Amino acid sequence: MNSTLHPMRAGVLLGAVLLSGSALAAPQVSKTAIKAGTVMTLDGDPIENGVIVIEGGRVKAVGAAADIEIPWDATVIDQPDLVAFPGYVEAHVARGIDRANETLDVAPFLDVRDSIDPVNFYFEEALRNGLVAINVSQGVDTVIAGQSRVVQPFGMMVEDMTIKPKSGITMSAAPRRGKTRAIQAQLLRGAFDDLERYLREMVQRRKDGDDFDRREALYQGREIEGEDAEGRALQSEAWSIEGFELVPRGEVDEKRAPLLAVIENRMTAFVYCGSPMDVHTALRVADDNGFTKSTVLYLDASCWKAAERVKSAGVSVILSPSLTHVDRDPITGEEIETFVPKVYHDAGVPFALASTSDAQRSLWFQAAQCVANGVPRAAALAAVTSTPASILGLEERFGAIRPGSDGSVVLLSGDPLSVTSVVQHVVLAGEHVYDRAKDVRVKLLLDGTRPPGTSADEPEEEPYEGDGDDGTDDDEDEGENG
Amino acid sequence: MLNTMLLSTKITLAAAALLPSAAGPAQDAGQDAAPTRSHTVHAETLYTSAGDSIRNALIVVDDGKIAAVSPGVEATRDAIRAKVVTAGMIDASARINVGLRSVEQGSEITPEVESRFGIDPFDARWARLARSGVTTAFVAPLNQNCIGGFGTVVKTAGGADLVGRTVESARMICGAIGSQPSQRNSPAFGRPSGLYNRRPTTRMGVEWEWRQSFFDAGQTPAEDANERTRTLQDALAGRVGVFVQAWATQDIRTAVFLKEELMREGFGELQLVVDCAAEAWREIDMLKRTGTAVVLPPLPSQGRTRDSALMPLDTAHRLVEAGVDVCLSAHAGDNPGARLDVQAGFAMRGGLDRAQALRAVTAVPARVLGIADRVGTVEVGKDADLVLWNGEPFEITSRPVGVLVGGELVVDPRD
Repeated sequence: MNSTLHPMRAGVLLGAVLLSGSALAAPQVSKTAIKAGTVMTLDGDPIENGVIVIEGGRVKAVGAAADIEIPWDATVIDQPDLVAFPGYVEAHVARGIDRANETLDVAPFLDVRDSIDPVNFYFEEALRNGLVAINVSQGVDTVIAGQSRVVQPFGMMVEDMTIKPKSGITMSAAPRRGKTRAIQAQLLRGAFDDLERYLREMVQRRKDGDDFDRREALYQGREIEGEDAEGRALQSEAWSIEGFELVPRGEVDEKRAPLLAVIENRMTAFVYCGSPMDVHTALRVADDNGFTKSTVLYLDASCWKAAERVKSAGVSVILSPSLTHVDRDPITGEEIETFVPKVYHDAGVPFALASTSDAQRSLWFQAAQCVANGVPRAAALAAVTSTPASILGLEERFGAIRPGSDGSVVLLSGDPLSVTSVVQHVVLAGEHVYDRAKDVRVKLLLDGTRPPGTSADEPEEEPYEGDGDDGTDDDEDEGENG
Repeated sequence: MLNTMLLSTKITLAAAALLPSAAGPAQDAGQDAAPTRSHTVHAETLYTSAGDSIRNALIVVDDGKIAAVSPGVEATRDAIRAKVVTAGMIDASARINVGLRSVEQGSEITPEVESRFGIDPFDARWARLARSGVTTAFVAPLNQNCIGGFGTVVKTAGGADLVGRTVESARMICGAIGSQPSQRNSPAFGRPSGLYNRRPTTRMGVEWEWRQSFFDAGQTPAEDANERTRTLQDALAGRVGVFVQAWATQDIRTAVFLKEELMREGFGELQLVVDCAAEAWREIDMLKRTGTAVVLPPLPSQGRTRDSALMPLDTAHRLVEAGVDVCLSAHAGDNPGARLDVQAGFAMRGGLDRAQALRAVTAVPARVLGIADRVGTVEVGKDADLVLWNGEPFEITSRPVGVLVGGELVVDPRD
């Protein structure tokens, strides 16, 4: 019927619709409906011919097409051949930032927010691999690094990308470059000793009527009002600082506050261990300072030997990208290979996997390797979805497609762990942000061509027809090398 | 306690297992004391690399050779069972040599040198390679001079010395065209005639070395030829293959142009194999026209390989569809995680079907290397090089769980 409408009248009608839309008091809620051949919710059995309705960035409903009503005003993504999947969650990565490590040994006051580069190629690659939430952190060549941040791999500003700020602090029990284990452990312990001394001195100054900390806070430009104006007793399971409730929280130096949050279990500590012996250091520091329950260990492959210690501590772990550990017997030369995730799986330790730096070996690859080595498929999938989500405190939002979770859905060409499956579409919080068909770079990676109009200066390629006696042949790949 | 929860594969180094001491009193053949080379393997699915797959195949291995393949048979009591069995994989460009010293650099052209003297049979990487399902590897001299010498085809297990493990293959001289042979050579700035000065320093120089050596060899009468010249003359006569490392289009062209130029001049026809042919997809017609086989390098992370050559995901697919002989390689030895089955998986991601991917790591490299009479397919009379998989080959969710090399059970799936 549209074709019979006079263009003028169509315009008027459209105007009316727009007006009525804004005239109605109901706030505009973006609605997206995804129809997929299979919906893997990871929260129950896969649904054939499933529908996911996303409203205002959250999943409103998910189920079989017959049971779900699609709102009339929803944008529909209809992909009957594809598999909908909750998307992968990266628990700890030092990429997408300008430089991984600070030269300072102890710098918990830094925030990775200031070094995330939204247009960094890493985020593009992450989107292409179906990652929907990434905990970007500083690197592990540190004693105590800055605060990490969970972001989505889409957005032009860090704020647009942010899913969860201050998601944790990265520490390392493994020696920094140029340091010995002993000094590393000493520095790590010392950071908490320093904090304790500082807090005691604060209390003493308060008791002495010294307003140094207030002046310092004002100098740092912090408002001390509301909750900050009040003092609270230290919420620590290991420490007691008498009289700390006298100190208004807002007066705590912002350089010290992040570690205070760690010992009060308000901030996750990601502690890296480069060898099994580091596990003991890490867990002892956590235990001594009462933050074991908010500790997540980021473990090198060799640390499987400390799996029992990890289990008894009850912490979750993130496994560094290399999943097979090779030990060589120094006498016989015999090599013993250990597939690390299987060890943690068998020990009942919750583990998250980490991507390799190779774009071809993202989280799907890591999970698939687990299946090859005897980890049940559900556990392997959990290690790249729900486990990292819960490590980041985002279990309600990521890792499964269920009512209330974030409307982040990845549409794959097949089973997520199959080598032939690729990510075709990504929807982040209801927004359709990736379509492989329009991915210019992937086209080049796929078949070496560029879609028309995407390269300014590349000459037309002509197939070579000569006989070898050709001194003038232009190299067409010059343009790409530049 | 901890040990019970480990999935650790204990693999005795092939070398250790076959040391005379391990084999008891030295005997002439060691046949009685050596590990048995006769087994029965049952496959739910057998991919033979030589036709259709076979359901419920019973493979009888007798003294290192495949004695019988019976379809539609239930497993016998003593059979080693596997979901899928394929032929042992062949890495046509393995890098298990002894580093920079595995290429003679006394001259830019050393075709007569044998790379097998630069191979360490005790290198732990052999066992690692065997564990990953690669049973045969082609080792070329390193790419630090223009023509490095003869490559060697070696089994990854099954003997303490290389003589027992070397596979009689087509003789191939190996070299490189591109930036590698001239890398680290000092250019003629400053003091050009220093002690450490070395040529060539450019691609042009590398090409010149190649052309000059073949033209000289072509013009040398047979009675004046030394070993070096004779080797090159053998290459011109097609008795010896030429295995050239060339990543970028321009270098692949250089190799093919040289072949065509030598033909035009009437010197003979080189039997070319282009190794590391990342950009072969740009010159498919040229490769087809000249019957040039290619060995592809591992798929790069972001498209670019060495010499900035672009290798898209569908490289293998396009070449195979066009009828070019394509071998895949993981460059095993370059990095510890290199796995040829993963490369085959990535080739499938790029469009190959499983049978094509399988051939690109078994039958095709066997043909290209001239060892198809012994390996590359699961057929009666071939070497019993078998890989036992716990799922569909080349899916990342599967892996080799058992490996036989020459009938010897190198990785036992029952462990």
